[in-house]
Amino acid sequence: MLIRPVADDFRVIGFYMGRIFLVVAAAAGLPLVWAAAAREWSPFGSFLLMGGVFALFGVVGTRLTPKEQGLDWSHGMVVVALTWLLVPIIGAIPLLLSGHFGRPLDAFFDAMSGVTTTGLSLLNDVDHLASSLNFWRHFLQFLGGQGIILAALTIFAGTGGITLYFGEAREERILPSVTSTARFIWAVSVVHLVFGVLALGLVGWLVLGFGIDRAVFHGLMVFFAGFDTGGFAPQSTSIGYYHSATFEGVTSLLMVAGAMSFGLHYALWRGPRRGVFANLETRTILATFAFTMVLTLLGLAATRLFVSVTGLTRQGLFQVLSAHTGTGFSTVPSVELAKWGGLAFGGIAIAMALGGMGSSTAGGVKSLRIGLTIKAVVNQIRQVLLPEHALVGTAYHQSGRKHLTPQLTQSVMIISLLYVALYLLGAGVGLAYGIPLQQALFESVSASANVGLSVGVTDPSMPILLELVYMLQMWAGRLEFVAVFSLLGFVYAWVRGR
Amino acid sequence: MRAHLQVVLMTTAFLLAPIPAFAAEEVTVFEIIDMAAQFAGEELTVEGELVGDYGFRNDGWMWTQLNGDAYVAAPLREGGPPVGANIGIGVRIPVELAEGLDSPGGYRNRGPVVRVTGIWKYHDPERQGESYLQVDALTVTEAGRQLDEGANWTALISGSLLLAVAGIVARLTPPDN
Repeated sequence: MLIRPVADDFRVIGFYMGRIFLVVAAAAGLPLVWAAAAREWSPFGSFLLMGGVFALFGVVGTRLTPKEQGLDWSHGMVVVALTWLLVPIIGAIPLLLSGHFGRPLDAFFDAMSGVTTTGLSLLNDVDHLASSLNFWRHFLQFLGGQGIILAALTIFAGTGGITLYFGEAREERILPSVTSTARFIWAVSVVHLVFGVLALGLVGWLVLGFGIDRAVFHGLMVFFAGFDTGGFAPQSTSIGYYHSATFEGVTSLLMVAGAMSFGLHYALWRGPRRGVFANLETRTILATFAFTMVLTLLGLAATRLFVSVTGLTRQGLFQVLSAHTGTGFSTVPSVELAKWGGLAFGGIAIAMALGGMGSSTAGGVKSLRIGLTIKAVVNQIRQVLLPEHALVGTAYHQSGRKHLTPQLTQSVMIISLLYVALYLLGAGVGLAYGIPLQQALFESVSASANVGLSVGVTDPSMPILLELVYMLQMWAGRLEFVAVFSLLGFVYAWVRGR
Repeated sequence: MRAHLQVVLMTTAFLLAPIPAFAAEEVTVFEIIDMAAQFAGEELTVEGELVGDYGFRNDGWMWTQLNGDAYVAAPLREGGPPVGANIGIGVRIPVELAEGLDSPGGYRNRGPVVRVTGIWKYHDPERQGESYLQVDALTVTEAGRQLDEGANWTALISGSLLLAVAGIVARLTPPDN
């Protein structure tokens, strides 16, 4: 029998959401200060309005003090799912008021794309967008990539933190407590922020010939979108705008750092480093990257679009890296990407679908699940081929020796299949609107795996239903389904429960 | 006799003069992007707004972006309708041609509209596969201009009120824990 949620359940959810909203309200102060410093008064007003809404919801929420209950698993999941739905809705206010969107839903789409670090965009005329609004778009990617909940956990320690932490699609706790893990993740990010912006800013200033202020601006925006594998860019031609192999090289390093699990960051920072390359996850991502890279280069060579090997390698490498890390930066226009048929197209689509490492800012099925799935299939085949009573080893190395249990295999398979279903959902809706299969599938995978590479389907004139489906894909893909299903279950129990 | 001499002189001058270059093909930015491979290596003339940054590099070239979209004629800030993403290509301009240009287009201004002629370098092997227009002639057809920005008073007042209400609620009802 379904139990209908009672008032105290809503108080628990409201209380924790209130705390999170207060953190986001504080974060919204940054673009407000930026707009004031840049004397961009129209965006300034809209940031004030957004901050006011977050603050009011936050204060009211934290006054809903629960009487009896603490935050249990299902509450935590509902909080996470609702947070990732409501933050983009309120966060879309400045985008909507900017006049750069044709419909309110488009502004919500961009905010959702930002928070989920997808990078698909329906923004009109980004080349004339206010710098503070550009900052807000990219900062949304940073906030979403790091984890909105994680930001709140860093400030508000307490019971229930573990549920919220795992609800945000994180699979490992690096340090003994969730709070210390959250602080470590922020420490890693801040160090990368300093060095990343410095490196990109220096390249912008010394190599590209930008003024110092513009070099730092571009460095900061590209850092947010690169390290958090988001894919927004301050100019319409994405990373192709910079026309610089050096800039692409630094950006690539940031994308790789963003797609690495924070557990791997921890191992590289504090050791032991020896086990890093023995990990199933590391080996899998290296193998799948090599595979998709070869596929793409062969495909590009067949198109005969490039007359030099260095050109083919540089352009192919950047696009595959961008796809596999789930970033979505590009150095070629979407019109051309759509013409990369055959193996090149397939290589990039597969790289997007596979995604980066678990507990990173990347999306997609994730390397560990791919590695475990392959291992389970190989074990199954060996079991069939070997004599009936032969024992097949189930051990694998991932931060120590572990065993592939039937339960683990089942959960890995379920999540992987859900991703495949999500990819097919968007492709199916795209097909129904008459979009060719190849393009419909590419864009759907890009949305579900939170990548952001586009072949031109995502456009302000796209059908509303397809837009809604892509938003659902971004949301469910980022949260890896569990929190979304929990919210749906909660709503169902509220309607049908007793 | 004089007329004959004139004809002879003109004919000689015509024959001795360098072979005149074929006029560059006049295209739009959209056509360049859409048919990028077909235009590879061709001399093209295109018109558009310079946007973003002027990157003056040490090798004697300036890099920027040339947009050929609807926002050139009707910027959003001047009431132009939102009609989609920008349509732009990279352009490489000799520094001597780029000096004295108005500020590139951005939030506060519509950049200069220029008519440029140059070679379309499609996946240029000398620049590891980059695509861009290498400009050798540039004419400013419309100077850059400032785009006005007004404050959004409704949002400003509403936001201030909401923050005030949040502050009052927080002060009147302190949390239990």
